[in-house]
Amino acid sequence: MAKTTTKNQWKAWLYLLPALVILAVFTIWPIINTVRMSMLKNYNGLAVVGGGSFEFGFYNFKHVIEYDGFTNALGNTLLLCVITVPISTMLALLIAVALNSIKFIRRAMQTIFFLPYVTNSIAIGMVFMAMFYQIGGSATNAPDSVGIINNIIEAFGGTAINWVNMGSSKFANMTVLVIYIVWNALPFKILVLLGGLQGVNKQYYDAAKIDGTSRFRTFWRITVPLLSPMIAYVVITGFIGGFKEYSSIVGIFGATMGPTGTDATNNMNTMVGYIYDSLKENNQGGASAAALILFAIIFVVTMINMYVSKKKVHY
Amino acid sequence: MTDNQTENLTENNVVAEQTATPQNDIATADKVMKKRDVDAVSKKQTVGKVFVQIGLYAFLGIMAIIVLFPFYWMLISSVKTVSEYNRTVPTLWPETFRWDTYTAAFSADGLNIGQLFLNTCIVGIVSTILSLIITVLSAYAFARLEFKGKNILFAALLATMMIPGELFTITNYITVSDLGWLNTYTVLIVPFLVSVFYIYLLRQNFMQIPNELYLAAKVDGSSDLKYLWKVMIPLAAPTLISITILKMMGSWNSYIWPNLVANDTAHTLITAGLRGHFATENGIPDFPAQMAAVVLVTIPLFLVFLFFRKYIMRGVSRSGIKG
Amino acid sequence: MKKKFGAIVLAGMMACVSLGGMVGCGGDKGKVKDFVMPDDGFDMEKTVEIKFYHTMGQSKQAILKRHIAEFNKLYPNIKINIDRSFGKYEDVRDAIITEINANEQPNLAYCYPDHVAMYNEAKVVLPLNDFLPDGDFKDVTVTPVGKEAEPIGYSKAQKEDFFEAYYNEGFKYGNGKTMYTLPLAKSTEVIYYNKTFFDENNLTVPTTWDEMEILCKKIKEGDDTTAALGASGTTPLGYDSEGNWFITMCEQYGSKYTSATGKKYLFNNETNKKFVSRFKGWYDKGYLVTQATNGNAYTSSLFTDQKIYMCIGSSAGASYQMPDRVTVNGQSVRKFEVGIAPIPQVNPDNPKAISQGPSICIFKDSDPQKVLASWLFAKFMTTNLDFQAEFSFDSGYAPVIKTVTENKIYKDGIDAADGYDNLVQLSIKTCMDNAESYFTSPAFVGSSRARDEVGNLMAVVFSGTKTIDQAFKSAVSTCEHFAG
Repeated sequence: MAKTTTKNQWKAWLYLLPALVILAVFTIWPIINTVRMSMLKNYNGLAVVGGGSFEFGFYNFKHVIEYDGFTNALGNTLLLCVITVPISTMLALLIAVALNSIKFIRRAMQTIFFLPYVTNSIAIGMVFMAMFYQIGGSATNAPDSVGIINNIIEAFGGTAINWVNMGSSKFANMTVLVIYIVWNALPFKILVLLGGLQGVNKQYYDAAKIDGTSRFRTFWRITVPLLSPMIAYVVITGFIGGFKEYSSIVGIFGATMGPTGTDATNNMNTMVGYIYDSLKENNQGGASAAALILFAIIFVVTMINMYVSKKKVHY
Repeated sequence: MTDNQTENLTENNVVAEQTATPQNDIATADKVMKKRDVDAVSKKQTVGKVFVQIGLYAFLGIMAIIVLFPFYWMLISSVKTVSEYNRTVPTLWPETFRWDTYTAAFSADGLNIGQLFLNTCIVGIVSTILSLIITVLSAYAFARLEFKGKNILFAALLATMMIPGELFTITNYITVSDLGWLNTYTVLIVPFLVSVFYIYLLRQNFMQIPNELYLAAKVDGSSDLKYLWKVMIPLAAPTLISITILKMMGSWNSYIWPNLVANDTAHTLITAGLRGHFATENGIPDFPAQMAAVVLVTIPLFLVFLFFRKYIMRGVSRSGIKG
Repeated sequence: MKKKFGAIVLAGMMACVSLGGMVGCGGDKGKVKDFVMPDDGFDMEKTVEIKFYHTMGQSKQAILKRHIAEFNKLYPNIKINIDRSFGKYEDVRDAIITEINANEQPNLAYCYPDHVAMYNEAKVVLPLNDFLPDGDFKDVTVTPVGKEAEPIGYSKAQKEDFFEAYYNEGFKYGNGKTMYTLPLAKSTEVIYYNKTFFDENNLTVPTTWDEMEILCKKIKEGDDTTAALGASGTTPLGYDSEGNWFITMCEQYGSKYTSATGKKYLFNNETNKKFVSRFKGWYDKGYLVTQATNGNAYTSSLFTDQKIYMCIGSSAGASYQMPDRVTVNGQSVRKFEVGIAPIPQVNPDNPKAISQGPSICIFKDSDPQKVLASWLFAKFMTTNLDFQAEFSFDSGYAPVIKTVTENKIYKDGIDAADGYDNLVQLSIKTCMDNAESYFTSPAFVGSSRARDEVGNLMAVVFSGTKTIDQAFKSAVSTCEHFAG
């Protein structure tokens, strides 16, 4: 027995070798470099070329944490993550199950849900502009266009809501962002879950049908447990991705990262948005420090996720 | 017949309390149902079924419209004129169609779209294949093989996904520049071959495949590689297809890194080439032209993919395990 | 056995990592060498290839290629690679910053002053003072094919041919004594106004902000004698860039904005608060809409849709200010005529308008011949009349030299200028006619942050979410956090 284990040990590392070598050079080394940069005050690669040197210490971390714009970004990021991951996972699961349980035009439907992959992110941003933005108008004039969503609301007799324009509420902003992020995350999750479902054996369902098990029960008792590894995957990577949310805010609000009338202290900026802000001034030291703080948070959350999933996932 | 064997084995492990030996159950249950044959019950069921089906289609239909809307928007925006695109109240259907961006892409002047496509195909195909091999090997090691420090290593790999990759750009650029890789296919392929996301995804899929199959294969004296090739890969085909799509799309759409490290004509990739071609310098970007570029790049890929998906899926359903 | 194995693997990984480390930080990254003029000047025999990064689209590249062919008649041994075209100026900047880290930067590039301020931290941008008429290289000559020997640098006439403000922009760094950039093509801000509407109502274009206020009132509310002139639901004035507006007002009032040396962010002062407060009043009365208050959409589309009557925007954006065509009596015509005028002033006797648009910078290189070749090409682009004229009409940016007015291509273009289909020409004409009033603000690492923040500050004040004092304080603190 001991012999086979040792043999397996060698084999396992052999299998992992190509991945580890590439990761070491193109991922691990940059991470080490990130740690180094975070410890040098306002580190900036250009200044190094120019012959500059930097003080060693925790200045960057202190500088980042003390900034109220950073605490704002941290709060936004956490909130978005906690809201969007469960919603998008649940919705994707429902769609995947529905896609898997229809017969007529099933292939066509599955193809449709692939299409978002070939849709450019700029296009999605543009659609949101058309959907939520009020255009024209001024302090005294009504807008020329209130956006497609408000058109729909008004058609049903409601009153237009200021979603993302100047003076919009944080609640309205959050709602739009959540819709955007869920929308953006759906295709990937559907793809993964559908892939998982196709691997699940049909016979379970046949058996359940014969037993007269209700659909709801079948869903919770068969589908969810069988899919649990994929669900765990989608949730864990969803959290990791969610903490790195950035492009959705740019997509909706542009470079100001919030509705008109907000600034760094109260806009919708996120952690990665803050990192970009630092990189814009080429302050790699500050950006690295912020990235490591973000890393620490994601790491803790992922560990919790892993712990929970270990108990719940059936392999 | 071989299909059934796989399926049986697959079931054994999971949700054991539910059905111990499904094949027998089904057979007996079938008979029972036929015997009962109560009209009222089946009628009730049919009505319920119809409602459920309607609900399903309605739900999927609405979601499909939502998901498709941006795609539609991309298509119509790509043929709008700049002034119509900038209109305060957006139009849902272009008033005037503009094809010059499309024709310009194929005009002989300047842009060699054939070369761009060729470069992109080489990079896309090679990196997808290599990436699949690496992903399969790594996922297999994590899912099936036992070695010391497995869990710690896996957690460490996951951790590498948690730092925003933008911070790596400069360091990686220096690395490839020192390796002398600038303006080669290598630099476009190698640095992003390993994705922990995909390894993780496939590992999850592999873990679903019951251990009994592996032990049976061991008894038969099959090697790990043979088992991987004959059993694991066919069973994980849907996930592998997902990874293939994602990886292909990724290399097709990648812009920042290729534009940075490989920008001579022999290595320029399609997205970088088209984006540069449609650049404007008035500070107001020509979005319709950019959309046209995106459509030009992704639609052919999508069609090719549709074709392959059908082909691969058919292949998968035919094959089972032999031996 | 197990432990040994793990140790070996671990050691292997460590080796990989440290190898990566050595590759990354080892080797001679070295400071980039300063340029020293070779004893024999530019070598006309040796072939050199230089790389030029830009954001030119296909039509501009076609023009550039034709002129490169002309340039190659003079200097057949200089091969110019223009393959790298970027979508945005910021993309050029990001690529170059990365490349500087590995000493792979190009030889020439499109640039904005704040980008050059960043490159300067690496000390890789070539100072140009020696190439000026009284510089160190004044006695160095070069003999282009088929021509007499000429000074390698700018002649006195060439130097004086530049519009002064454009030329001076090259010095806006640090202590202001070193020239780092050459102007290529420039734009300013102008008022586009609905000339048809102005003519119908006998209105004149305001030259001062006081006149502007009266005019806005007339259009929006009417005055003692007339009712509101504007249609209901319209706004008199649109301003595209809040940031430019703030900076321009600072310059017009002579109040402090930023400084490249010492304390950088000086814009939190009483004069500035006063004009922001005044414009807030305009905003509240519905005289005004800006890009930010218009849902981040350019106000030019409001202008072409006749929702506003005046639009202050970049002179390079004229093609976006042209209204759509409509068919009247079977003929296709533009909906209305557009007029273009200089922006209003605080003091019309001392006009000030912001200057923007691409400049060119040259990078140091270990091969002095490449540096000289780059210089010669930059000099060609900034002094060749045909190129300046053609490039100008295609891009909408104005030429940077005065004698271009004698060029045939330029003259023909300007003669065609009108308020309908040839609005670009009209805009270039307006831009050229007012070149004396242009200014640029100091460039330093963090200067673009200042522009963004003062622009956002105006939007914050307009929205009323913060008091003026709070908005100013917050903007300064953001600037100082990121680039203090």
